[in-house]
Amino acid sequence: MQEGNQVCRPAEARGAAAWHRRSVLLGAAGFGLLGAPSILRAQAAFGSRPIEVVTHAGVGGGTDITARMTAVDAAAALGTEIVVVNKTGGSGAAALAYAAQRPKDGHTVLLLTQTHLLTMLRSRTGTQMEDLVAIARATEDPQVVMVRADSPLRSADELASIGKERSLRFGITHVGSVDHVATVGFAKAAGIRPPTAVPFRGGGDIVVNLVGGNIDVGLLNFAEGEAQLRAGEVRPLMVLSRERMTSLPEAPTARELRIDFVSATTRGYAVMKGVPEDRIARLEEGMLKGLRGPTFSNYLKTSGQALDSVAGRAEWQAQLEAFSNEGRQALADLGVAR
Amino acid sequence: MSVAAHLGRDRRVALAVAGIAGLAFALTFTFDSVPAALMEGLGAAEFPRLICAILLLLAVVLFVSSPAEEAALPPVHRCTWWTLAACLGFFPVLGLIGMLPAMVLFPIVVGRLWGERRPAVLLLSAALVTLVIWLLFVRIFRFTLPGGLLGDALFG
Amino acid sequence: MEAFLAGMAILADPFALFMIVAGTVIGITVGALPGISGSTTIALMLPITLGLDPVVSLAFLGSIYCAANFGGSITAILVNAPGDPSASATALEGYKMAERGEAGMALGMSAVASAIGGIFSVVVMIVAAPLLSRAAYSFGPPEYLALALFGLSMCAAVGGDSAVKNLIAATFGVLLATVGIDLTTGVERYTFGFYDLTDGVSFVAALIGLFAVGEMLDQATQQMGKPTLLKMDAVRVPGRAEFRKCNRSIWLGSVIGTFIGILPALGATAAALIGYNETRRWSKHKHEFGHGSIEGVAGPEAANNAAVGGGMVPTLALGIPGSATTAIILAGLIVQGVRPGPHLFNEQPRLLYAVFASMLAANILYLVIGLGAAKLFARISLIPAALLWPAVFVLSVIGAYGANQSMGDVWLMMAFGILGFAFRRTGFSPAPLIMGLVLGSMVEESLKQSILIFGDDVVGGFIGRPIALVLFAITALGLLVPPVLRATARLRQPQAREV
Repeated sequence: MQEGNQVCRPAEARGAAAWHRRSVLLGAAGFGLLGAPSILRAQAAFGSRPIEVVTHAGVGGGTDITARMTAVDAAAALGTEIVVVNKTGGSGAAALAYAAQRPKDGHTVLLLTQTHLLTMLRSRTGTQMEDLVAIARATEDPQVVMVRADSPLRSADELASIGKERSLRFGITHVGSVDHVATVGFAKAAGIRPPTAVPFRGGGDIVVNLVGGNIDVGLLNFAEGEAQLRAGEVRPLMVLSRERMTSLPEAPTARELRIDFVSATTRGYAVMKGVPEDRIARLEEGMLKGLRGPTFSNYLKTSGQALDSVAGRAEWQAQLEAFSNEGRQALADLGVAR
Repeated sequence: MSVAAHLGRDRRVALAVAGIAGLAFALTFTFDSVPAALMEGLGAAEFPRLICAILLLLAVVLFVSSPAEEAALPPVHRCTWWTLAACLGFFPVLGLIGMLPAMVLFPIVVGRLWGERRPAVLLLSAALVTLVIWLLFVRIFRFTLPGGLLGDALFG
Repeated sequence: MEAFLAGMAILADPFALFMIVAGTVIGITVGALPGISGSTTIALMLPITLGLDPVVSLAFLGSIYCAANFGGSITAILVNAPGDPSASATALEGYKMAERGEAGMALGMSAVASAIGGIFSVVVMIVAAPLLSRAAYSFGPPEYLALALFGLSMCAAVGGDSAVKNLIAATFGVLLATVGIDLTTGVERYTFGFYDLTDGVSFVAALIGLFAVGEMLDQATQQMGKPTLLKMDAVRVPGRAEFRKCNRSIWLGSVIGTFIGILPALGATAAALIGYNETRRWSKHKHEFGHGSIEGVAGPEAANNAAVGGGMVPTLALGIPGSATTAIILAGLIVQGVRPGPHLFNEQPRLLYAVFASMLAANILYLVIGLGAAKLFARISLIPAALLWPAVFVLSVIGAYGANQSMGDVWLMMAFGILGFAFRRTGFSPAPLIMGLVLGSMVEESLKQSILIFGDDVVGGFIGRPIALVLFAITALGLLVPPVLRATARLRQPQAREV
């Protein structure tokens, strides 16, 4: 067998070589066609390349899905393709570093969350809030204080009274995360003892452990606990938004209960400083069109979020700066600021 | 070297494992401390230290239980060293000319090394593999591959 | 029944059927390629499917999900590069079979076992999802701790030269699992300032390095002018004798995989590894394991595909996705106006049965494609090493890069490749290392979470958890009974001879 193989080699090789010469020619021509225009347009005209939306979230999370839902209509509005790039790692540090090293021609857009802000505050090196320019806000998903249906914490008053006796167990995602900062802030505003924060991998795990009775309280987005709310396994004590949520009309806001605390999972788009002003304006217009388009509106509605989550550049910029200041204080309180 | 040469294969492995465990144990002291306000339950360093201790213990067991006189390891083949060098060389080449061109070069170099002498076959298979990767990963799945210095210079 | 038939009617719709076939083919392809996972593909396809009828789009995504899990085994068997982490257990035995010239046998068994596991779990999903989903609530950190320890308890018996070496490899795996930001304290450990390590060691990079790159370096030793031998048996597919042999492994894997899949914190990879352990434990041919056991392909393949249907249980019945893939499918459901939860099964049965029908169809389709193409795929193992392995390296590079699109992961793959080569030379096996790596973080995290939950009375806390106690007891029995049995047998034998 081995020898037979040897014998037939030359013919095979000749054929392959001939075929190969042709393919090299074709290939060279192909590469030439593809390459040349890009070389000529070294400083890429806006919209000539796909726009990369860089997110720190892995595929499948709420942040990733936000990016993909925006992309559907925004791509049409901007007249170019939108590619979602997942740069996980370092709680947003990898995504920030990646965005910082890309050319500042408006083809790289960051999907920013509070996580990035906290990461920037904690690192002190690399990209800071001042290096970013807001584009548009995509979601503002208020957090809901949820307890198990048969929990002794039947009302905000009972939460306050029991919470003063013993430290309650709150489910959070990661230490020093947005949830954690919110939990500490909420406990402070509600005047209860500093809670025991039990970290989990994600909102789903928190819901499971809330129903399973392993934790007392969870600060969750509506969508994360929707199935359990509808099944009557979990009760909302209050919502941490300014006004009542349309998806949970009976749940009072914390402010109505004289707990001055507001918290939401907020996501929005930003670019690095240095992108030309006209491109920022184009991006804002295009992203807003995408965010107000049917796909994203439907996504907001079905996941129980308000349509006014979507906001323009000015509002989002102001909010980012406010977050940054609050976050600095909260991290100092936690003792994790550097 | 002279001491190591007298040891059997498994004893040398045991020493290496003990070294790694010791190093990892020492590194736990370089972890950031947990802020007092957050310190509840187990800290960050306890579990890795426990694991390192177990690893150290197992290394001792391996050392004691392995025969003192053992057949020496067969030497690493020259071709493996060259292949390894080609793999490691792949990285700087990639940094210079980009991932896709480096992917064309690698199978040609290593294929030659492994005894495939026909340049046409080497070129064709390398080009084919890279083409498939380009089609699937770049065209369809929209990966951004590192362009290297060359790619950055050409495409900005 | 009416709803069932209405749901099944999807298979009569040519367009829906076309989408299921397309989803299956896409799923097998991306599953086989390291670096593109089912979840990436589904995320990419999600916006495209929004314009379709909800039933069709879910059928499409569901069939990608099913087929991708099977696809991972193809590259695992042929070139020792698991296309998906869940196929790592398959690589352990399947690649050894391919090396022996039985690639077609391994591929065929993988297709059949996968399909049986997949179909079993989909049937379980449709019959008992609301009931079984309650199990997810019964599993808190203490139970996961017990389960993870159960999974790790077998590692001494699996893999290399000796029990000590296996334990060393497993412990080293657990140590590697501590790399990254510690969940319960937020402290960075062993990251040396690299972003790529903050989320821990990338499974894909580690697996591809250990298996494929390690194998390439090992193959290099046998190269340099040496002719490659043609493997004549490579295209033979399994027959009745093989299936009879693997019957028990397949069912065991299906049940274990479905159960593990239902638990949101564990996924197909853990299912495959635990399935592998248990297949070996209950096998009559233990000595074949580690040397290309066909049961060792059947068990984990049935388990990881059963975890697919299992994973749909909490996704549909609780709205809690257990993996990245089910998270995207869940988002697709929600956007299409489906409200997951215990009521889903009464409120929207037609849609549910359509998902069920499409997942069943996908499982049958990839069985047909997998068996049909096994002979074709098996020929890949006939490609001369000098062409095949360099190409595998290139594929490994893109595979390691693709998961997070980072060069750091490619370096990590290279480091694991060298480790894998060193393992081969010194009588270690990657199997226990992978078990430690996959289950290690769960051991640590669930231990720390339990301590936080129980507060001051940790021992009392564990005593109050019957499920955890039972699992601890099973683990202890599994560890203690075999040596005791062996010892008593040894005691009895000489006596018998004396009499």
